[in-house]
Amino acid sequence: MVRFLGLGLLLLGLLLFPLAVELPYPQHVMILIFLYAMMGLAWNIIGGYAGQVSLGDATYFGIGAYTTAILLRELNLSPWVGMALGALNAVVVSLVLGYPCFRVRGHYFAIATIALNEIVATIFTNWDFVGGAVGIYVPILPESFVNLQFHRSKAPYYYIALGMLILVILLNLWLSRSRLGYYFRAIRADQDAARALGIDITRYKLIAYALTAAITSLGGSFYAMYVLYIDPTSVFAFSISLLVVLVAVLGGVGTVAGPILGSVILISLSEGTRVLLGGTGRALDVAIYGLLVMAISVLQPQGLVAWFRALRQPKAREVKVGRAPS
Amino acid sequence: MEGPLLELKKVSKRFGGLWANREVSFKVFSGEVLGLIGPNGAGKTTLFNVITGFLRPDSGQILFAGQDITGWPPDKVCRAGIARTFQLVRVFRGLSVFENVLIGALLRNPKPKAAAELTRQLIELTGLRPWAEELVDGLPIAVKKRVELARALATGPKLLLLDEVMAGLNPKERQEAVELVRRLKSELKVTVLMVEHVMEVLMPLSDRVVVLDFGVKIAEGRPEEVVKDPEVIKAYLGERYAAGFGSLGGL
Repeated sequence: MVRFLGLGLLLLGLLLFPLAVELPYPQHVMILIFLYAMMGLAWNIIGGYAGQVSLGDATYFGIGAYTTAILLRELNLSPWVGMALGALNAVVVSLVLGYPCFRVRGHYFAIATIALNEIVATIFTNWDFVGGAVGIYVPILPESFVNLQFHRSKAPYYYIALGMLILVILLNLWLSRSRLGYYFRAIRADQDAARALGIDITRYKLIAYALTAAITSLGGSFYAMYVLYIDPTSVFAFSISLLVVLVAVLGGVGTVAGPILGSVILISLSEGTRVLLGGTGRALDVAIYGLLVMAISVLQPQGLVAWFRALRQPKAREVKVGRAPS
Repeated sequence: MEGPLLELKKVSKRFGGLWANREVSFKVFSGEVLGLIGPNGAGKTTLFNVITGFLRPDSGQILFAGQDITGWPPDKVCRAGIARTFQLVRVFRGLSVFENVLIGALLRNPKPKAAAELTRQLIELTGLRPWAEELVDGLPIAVKKRVELARALATGPKLLLLDEVMAGLNPKERQEAVELVRRLKSELKVTVLMVEHVMEVLMPLSDRVVVLDFGVKIAEGRPEEVVKDPEVIKAYLGERYAAGFGSLGGL
């Protein structure tokens, strides 16, 4: 009950935030937090639940962004449709990459995801139709929800990002109690034992990866409409792939709260140091980043969520019992 | 009489020059407990891996309920109705006992609610209730082995393959495990094929026994006959004892 009340108050606070704080910059930081929390939760499906480390999620971020931007520019197609088709593209690419990788064991998958990230970035940089290295300006449309463009205030973007994050949280919560989620965790724990229980591990890894790709692509589509300009270095950046992993690992892999917490901390930290240290701070905020990640991985390898759970040990037990389906 | 539930026809598996299994043939009939014994390195676990699809046989045929399942992947073999445990326990770490069994139950009950019901029954049957909500990671080996057993049962098998479920247990735990296997046979009507190293445990449990030595089947029959077989005594104790000893395993 207390938990529900707390969550209700948090949600209310988040809904009122843009009304209370009208400055664009704090709203922008919140939007980034929502975006990375969402993509951290997406990575959580393949990397956290299913235990297959993907290091190239920017591939799908970029696919979502480019699909939406190009369909809007060439065919004047609604960004929402572009978003759906971007997710579909991402799923197709994830299956093509995943199928050969998941049939063999070892670290091939992690390596292949990095390679794919680089290959796709190189293709887009050299492909004139999509603007090459110059990138694409998204056509400016009249302000409306249907057009997914707002020029006077960031608040509508804030609410859309929050809505998308809530949907992804609900998906993760559902997953954690569904057959899919249990199968993913079985695969992470022991692939042979999973197979002996009738689980087609290749199939379920593909499902996990496709879900990750689709959600990440939605994030990319949103980004394109939010920033209204994309190029290969901004949407296919390896740093995006890395940040998504960091957000999940720092917060706590395989949990729903972890990536959200990770995103809050990492984004506020990187934005905060940038503001405080100005133009000279670029290297310093990266250094603090690195120190923090190192500190947490040494002190609390299970992530911050495990640390919070340990703080309230007696309660953690109750929560666990309550999680078993009844 | 109906046909055998499982039939092996001249199954061979080679690792380089070593024949782990050489033209092994036998049948397992519905409702029986068949014991598979043999000295270390006789090829028992290899044969389990071949039957359950973890290894592909070099030649020979495996029929389950009349269907040729040779070379099927492990998950398909399980869906056909063969479940197994592992010699070295392979529980899902990081999950509770309940969740471990639940993952097995989800195979034939995709809805978590129905699967949870079956899970509760099996946890009761295998005596795991005191540990149900605990993480499996820190549990004693005897409990982990029961988790594996409950998890395998949860997939609703017609045939259960047990790979040394008694290994690493103390005499009391062993006795409990024997009782459990008896109950599976009488209450769940599961057919059991079990590999065991500890002969005195296997003998009273088995309706029939198959003996492997260096990958070859050297004897098959009722336990009390097999232990008197000179070939079997020779395999276990060496040539010297074969003449002197009447039987094995204190029977």
